[in-house]
Amino acid sequence: MWNMFERRLAPTESPWAIAAMTFGSVVLAFLIGAVLFLPFVSNPIDAYVSLFEASLGSMRGLGITLNRAAPLIVIALGTCVAWRAGFGYLGFEGCLTIGAAASAWFALLALDGGLAFIPSILFFAVAICISFGAGGAWAGGVGLFRSRFGGNEVLISLMTNYVAAFIVQYLVSGPMRAPGSLPQTPRLPTETWLPGIIPETRAHAGILIALAATGLVWLLMSRMRLGYELIVTGLNPFAARYGGINVGRRYVLAAFLAGGLGALAGLIEVLGTQHRLLDGLSGGIGFIGIVVALLAKLNPLAVVPTAVLYAALSVGADAVQRSTGAPSSIIFILQSLIVLFVMASDFLRYWTIRLPFKSPGSESGKV
Amino acid sequence: MFDDFVVSSFLVTWLAASVRLAGPLLLTALGEIFAERSGVLNVGIEGTILIGALAAYLVTYQSGTPWTGFAAAILAGILANLLLAWMYVTVRANQVVVGIVFNILALGAASYGYRLALGSASNPELIPMIGSVTIPYLSSIPLVGPILFSHSILLYVTIAAVLAGEFVLFRTRFGLNVRAVGENPHAAANAGISVSRIRYAGVLLSGAGAGAAGGYLVLAQIGLFRDTIVVGQGFIALAIVIFGRWRPIYAAFAALAFGAADALQLSLQLFSFDLPPQLLLSLPYVLTIVAVSGLIGRAAQPAALMEPYRPN
Amino acid sequence: MQPAVELRGITKRFPGVLANDQTNLVVEKGEVHAVLGENGAGKSTLMHILYGSYQPDEGEIVLDGQQVRFASQREAIGHNIGMIHQDFMLVRPFTVVENVVLGLRDERGGILDLGKAAARIKELSDRHGLTVDPWARVEHLPVGVQQRVEIIKLLYRDARILILDEPTAVLTPQETGKLLATLRALTAEGRSVIIVTHKLHEIIEVADRITIMRDGRTVATLDKKATTEAELARMMVGRDVALKVRRTPLRQGNPILRVSDLYVADDRGASAVNGVDLSVHEGEIVGIAGVDGNGQSQLVEGLMGLRAIRQGSVEMAGVEITDAPLFDRSGKGLVYVPADRRGVGSVATLNIEDNAILGNQRQFSGAGSLLRDRAKSRSHAETLIDRFGVRTPDIRFPAGKLSGGNLQKVILGREIMRDPRVLIVEQPTRGLDVGAIEVIWSELLAAREQGKGILLISAELEEIRNLADRIFVMYGGRFMGELRSEDASDEVIGLMMAGVSAVGAREVGHVEYV
Repeated sequence: MWNMFERRLAPTESPWAIAAMTFGSVVLAFLIGAVLFLPFVSNPIDAYVSLFEASLGSMRGLGITLNRAAPLIVIALGTCVAWRAGFGYLGFEGCLTIGAAASAWFALLALDGGLAFIPSILFFAVAICISFGAGGAWAGGVGLFRSRFGGNEVLISLMTNYVAAFIVQYLVSGPMRAPGSLPQTPRLPTETWLPGIIPETRAHAGILIALAATGLVWLLMSRMRLGYELIVTGLNPFAARYGGINVGRRYVLAAFLAGGLGALAGLIEVLGTQHRLLDGLSGGIGFIGIVVALLAKLNPLAVVPTAVLYAALSVGADAVQRSTGAPSSIIFILQSLIVLFVMASDFLRYWTIRLPFKSPGSESGKV
Repeated sequence: MFDDFVVSSFLVTWLAASVRLAGPLLLTALGEIFAERSGVLNVGIEGTILIGALAAYLVTYQSGTPWTGFAAAILAGILANLLLAWMYVTVRANQVVVGIVFNILALGAASYGYRLALGSASNPELIPMIGSVTIPYLSSIPLVGPILFSHSILLYVTIAAVLAGEFVLFRTRFGLNVRAVGENPHAAANAGISVSRIRYAGVLLSGAGAGAAGGYLVLAQIGLFRDTIVVGQGFIALAIVIFGRWRPIYAAFAALAFGAADALQLSLQLFSFDLPPQLLLSLPYVLTIVAVSGLIGRAAQPAALMEPYRPN
Repeated sequence: MQPAVELRGITKRFPGVLANDQTNLVVEKGEVHAVLGENGAGKSTLMHILYGSYQPDEGEIVLDGQQVRFASQREAIGHNIGMIHQDFMLVRPFTVVENVVLGLRDERGGILDLGKAAARIKELSDRHGLTVDPWARVEHLPVGVQQRVEIIKLLYRDARILILDEPTAVLTPQETGKLLATLRALTAEGRSVIIVTHKLHEIIEVADRITIMRDGRTVATLDKKATTEAELARMMVGRDVALKVRRTPLRQGNPILRVSDLYVADDRGASAVNGVDLSVHEGEIVGIAGVDGNGQSQLVEGLMGLRAIRQGSVEMAGVEITDAPLFDRSGKGLVYVPADRRGVGSVATLNIEDNAILGNQRQFSGAGSLLRDRAKSRSHAETLIDRFGVRTPDIRFPAGKLSGGNLQKVILGREIMRDPRVLIVEQPTRGLDVGAIEVIWSELLAAREQGKGILLISAELEEIRNLADRIFVMYGGRFMGELRSEDASDEVIGLMMAGVSAVGAREVGHVEYV
């Protein structure tokens, strides 16, 4: 039976094979999820249906899903920019936290009517700039470590997540703390809240920021000279160097952009959903965004539907737990299995299946 | 004199807590050292600790004996990391991403498994735990005694494991092969060593360490299972490995440093200080960053870390 | 007496290339046998087959009269064959002892006894004059000593056949002398040494017999005493098919590129370029002949700003560019087509359009060089493939999938279309078929006629003689002399490539008409 499998020299690139593998991974994950639902639900299909109804079927659910998707989108975009430039940055949790702190700080200036004379649009524009800049500087530092000293950005950025968390922990226990015993800032004034975009729902402008960022990142990567240089640096830093590209500077640029995008996730969370800064607000989004980017194969346009799907699954998970009693952990399992199967399927593309009744060397019957 | 007493009792409380908290961290780090020394960065230890914790709880609950639970925790860790090893070494997938996704999977699976086994009872039952020992005479030494000599048996098991690990890594053929594979897999392959086999072994050892740490948490510290008992210990263990320059004995001191920082959080409730506690808490991480920043050279990191091996 | 080993009719195919084509090799016991050939001749592949890294598609290995098949390196090691690769297979942070015992399985219970091993190493090292401190860490050892460790590894396993791949490539002349003496001593014990190399001078010193390989085939096997360096050089680099081009008379213009007393170091800090002076004028092709590895790459890297210059200066049209970054140099009209077209000259996964603008991407951006002008780059790429005859379905085709010749046309084409003043090309037709070679040559000559200066670095004598107006021969980081192309016969160049100075070579060339 094993002689049915033959190893190729390079993985098959055909879009059909790739699409089939991705689709197969998703289907397989859902099948396993269905099995996991069985002890709790007589018909898993019902559970899936109610999951998607809750997250995408109603306006209210859609609103919550879009809110959840927005920070995932910007972090995934940051991952696309950094990783495609060959910079393995993992510090998005930290950037989110820093961006959240920066936005909260700026928003707190509006307490007691401090910024009343500024029109809303300007407030948000400035908040975005401040937040982006803070996150960009935060991650840019790691970029400098890589370009100047050859430091390992994977390990460094993992550690910076902790440092960022501690910084915010300090801020909300001390200088930015609201009166009272909880480590959090005062509630941000309503003028600083991201405006709602769909009436009768909680959907806020965060998704608009995310979509705008998507457009800009897509523009960068496919239409701008700097994007070209980042991509060449990521694909072949030697050829980049021979082509006159300053590889070190491009790493710093990639880091800066990734950090800024990560910080926007923090802004969206703080000004859109939480309305205050508190310890631990990131909730792992920093890493889930990376996963979303990978599922989307580091393609900025594919990030949006992938993030929405992922967010829909998370939002739906809570709804399913409420209505059927099945634990929401099934959905975490589902989400991770999709990613693992897709990653493993890259490996399967190295193999072809030779069906026994086809003659050797024929193209048909190969996967 | 009263001040001396206050200070010394603070120190004793703090340091004893440091040693106590360091235990599971060190066990995880020890296993991870073998994985990273062979060239694989296993971020999935975070999830593996949780799986080990669940296994320890469930098996002890069923069998009534905590030591079977501990053994089950180790076994569960190894089995879970079999999947990880396959993804890292055979599939050659991006190690960091696989690890991150695995952690999410493990959290879901552990949550689900607990729910399936024990329903959604809101009062989880305590299970019989592994006890502490108080080493006679030595533990009566003022100051040092309570800090070092009256801890859970598992702590001493951990210390023994650290010493064993140092010996295996530097004095045995297996340890030599592991280090060779992590520094220059082509040279190792050229000498006839199977790079995949060694890397599988490294990852499985990190699974054993993390699983055991999960058992340690449940059986020697907490006594029950909740899916929030592992929050970041896996990542802290990664930092300990780096800070300890990939050597078991140095990692023990690194674990103590991180444990001390963690324990400081608890102890500081009792005493007031002018410095924000976060400054000290973040210090081990800042130092770890310096260690891998390239400012002081990359000498200690296994040269082939995170690079999947492709024979030429 | 049985030969130590015989390789008969070995054939090995890799995707896209026939590395060994019915190759034969006979190595006697107690001899130093040199396998000579250019890069790509197939000699390394042949040795890897002998060492068990690859299995041959056809052919057999006969070891001491017995036919053998090696499925892995472990098996070859078990038959007392050892190999030292060009990139040493040493674990740098390990001590010498740890490196030597790596891969063995000779202790009880898996516990190392490094002390015993160190004693045995000391004994071997004393017996063979390979002084080394067993407890030193390899990363602290100079390269010559590291090589000794590699040899000790083989002796520790009692290798009867030792294969050395380009052993002198990384050694200083003194270290080379010591190595060659060591090899002589080893053969006195009845061991056989196979040296794979392209360094003629050392071969003549130490080898007993020499096998020359070219394009995957064995060309000849000679006794050292029956041949000369010049003959070896000719046999090594000659091409089977003669190509001829017509070169118009030289119309030399002003000097544009001026290099004075240039010194450049290699990666280890040793001096690779030792005091080079040269100038390139408009409308001429200056050829630098020489076997690869004599400092040519470092010279070019120094000229382009990819490697720091230790001493000396480089000027373009009178402007000093010695310390300028690569970007400025290409801005001043100095461009480069590197030897490694797939690794460094292009990005394999990008398409032709994206590769066609590499190095010059600002020219193809509008809006203050921010936004890519896709229309411009597309038409540029279309023009390129049209003008240079690149065979491809379209410009969206990934560059990595192009054949060598077509890829080279893209790379050369993009640099020529920048309208440079001086074009540096390194090994431009390595690995290409005759058709592609003719196209590349005619493009270079066309650029020459348009008044561009070209610096051509090549190990192919025919290429140099056909294209270059003036010829320098590089050996050991220096120019052995300057020749006009009319004066450059194969004998003369061959001797200079082997280290004989121009004067001496011309004398010899005139006297010897065998």
